[in-house]
Amino acid sequence: MLIATAQETTPVKPAPKNNKTEEGVLPANSFKEAKAVPKPIAKDTISPPKTNRYGLRVGADLYKLTRGLYDKDYKGIELVADYRLSKKYYLAAELGSENKTTDDTRLNSTAKGSYLKAGFDYNAYENWLDMENILSIGMRYGFSSFSQQLNTYKIYNANPYFGEVAPITSGEKYSGLSASWIEVVAGLKAKVFNNVFVGFSFQFKKLVSNKKPDNFDNLYIPGFNRTYNGDFGVGFNYSVSYFIPIYKKKVIPVTPAKKPGPKK
Amino acid sequence: MFLLVLACSFSSCEKDDICDASTITTPRLVISFYDFNNPSELKSVTDLTIIGEGMTEGVTYSSSTLVNGSTVSIPLKTDADATSYSFILNYGNSDATVVNQDELKFNYSRQNIFVSRACGFKTEFTLDPTTAFVHTDAAVADAKWIEYIAVKESSITNENETHLEIYF
Repeated sequence: MLIATAQETTPVKPAPKNNKTEEGVLPANSFKEAKAVPKPIAKDTISPPKTNRYGLRVGADLYKLTRGLYDKDYKGIELVADYRLSKKYYLAAELGSENKTTDDTRLNSTAKGSYLKAGFDYNAYENWLDMENILSIGMRYGFSSFSQQLNTYKIYNANPYFGEVAPITSGEKYSGLSASWIEVVAGLKAKVFNNVFVGFSFQFKKLVSNKKPDNFDNLYIPGFNRTYNGDFGVGFNYSVSYFIPIYKKKVIPVTPAKKPGPKK
Repeated sequence: MFLLVLACSFSSCEKDDICDASTITTPRLVISFYDFNNPSELKSVTDLTIIGEGMTEGVTYSSSTLVNGSTVSIPLKTDADATSYSFILNYGNSDATVVNQDELKFNYSRQNIFVSRACGFKTEFTLDPTTAFVHTDAAVADAKWIEYIAVKESSITNENETHLEIYF
């Protein structure tokens, strides 16, 4: 009873006060502002009508491109693209090529190849007005076709009585290798100006298949990156992309209010 | 979180970067000593020192070069197809008459096998099928102390089995 009365009294009391003050202020101000007042009242203030733009976003991974400048053991390129399917879902794909020399303490090898990753992103970010930022979680299936060259290797000898033997130059090339994996992608894309977006993403990967060479291992898989014992891998990208608008969809305030209800 | 993942991927903090001691890497040649007069019985050597050709120090076992026991493991060269050793019995004994030196040269072929990222490769050996070893007396002849040598296992892939039997 007390709460109910308190609730009733509080909204009622400030409301008329606000109305009174607004009414008092507005006529004092310009005529335009006074006209603008009835508009928001007529509109639904919670969800103003907005248009969602649909289209294709294409770009490149700057992290891979610039890494070649300071890392002599790396050359790589990755093109990124996504296509908006619905309000929240995007088809996403990455196409890349890498040439990476891995220098471990006992092995030095070079992996060369191309890869394609395809999947979707789910935008979990609720944009205001006409903002088009993306805070996404997604999945990809990746496939890589590559070759490996064993440059040098060392023999592990737990009893080096005759001294440590110098690294052996091999130069043996293993071609026709392939691997596939699934990855979970957490990403962020922000519109910086016009249709230009910058974004970055982290990927957690797990190998599904891995065709290893005889008497060697896939120490680096283009697109998957360095391999670990447990089939897991990680990745990072920093992309700049351009959005090509194809069509627009008006968001009617009533329908989106109803739709999230039954979906959830 | 991001930094940790990044640090892992770059500075390689994963445990697969350390070659685990339990991993089977380059094996040694395992020799067992038997009694020549009673071939089914193992016989212990006394103060045996095994010195590789061109080396000054013998192969060390738990900080001693003296072997007292019926089995010994010796490393083979991973960059040559033969390894020569001097087997000196009663090494350093004040009584020079009991000190006896024999020369053994092992001939083999090698195969380098990939182990892992951390361990790199290992070398496996196969003793030569025709001339696995050459047994000669020391430069200063003192009669051979080794009476008979038999190849038990010619492919040397681990140290869990005897590869060579020496009867004396």
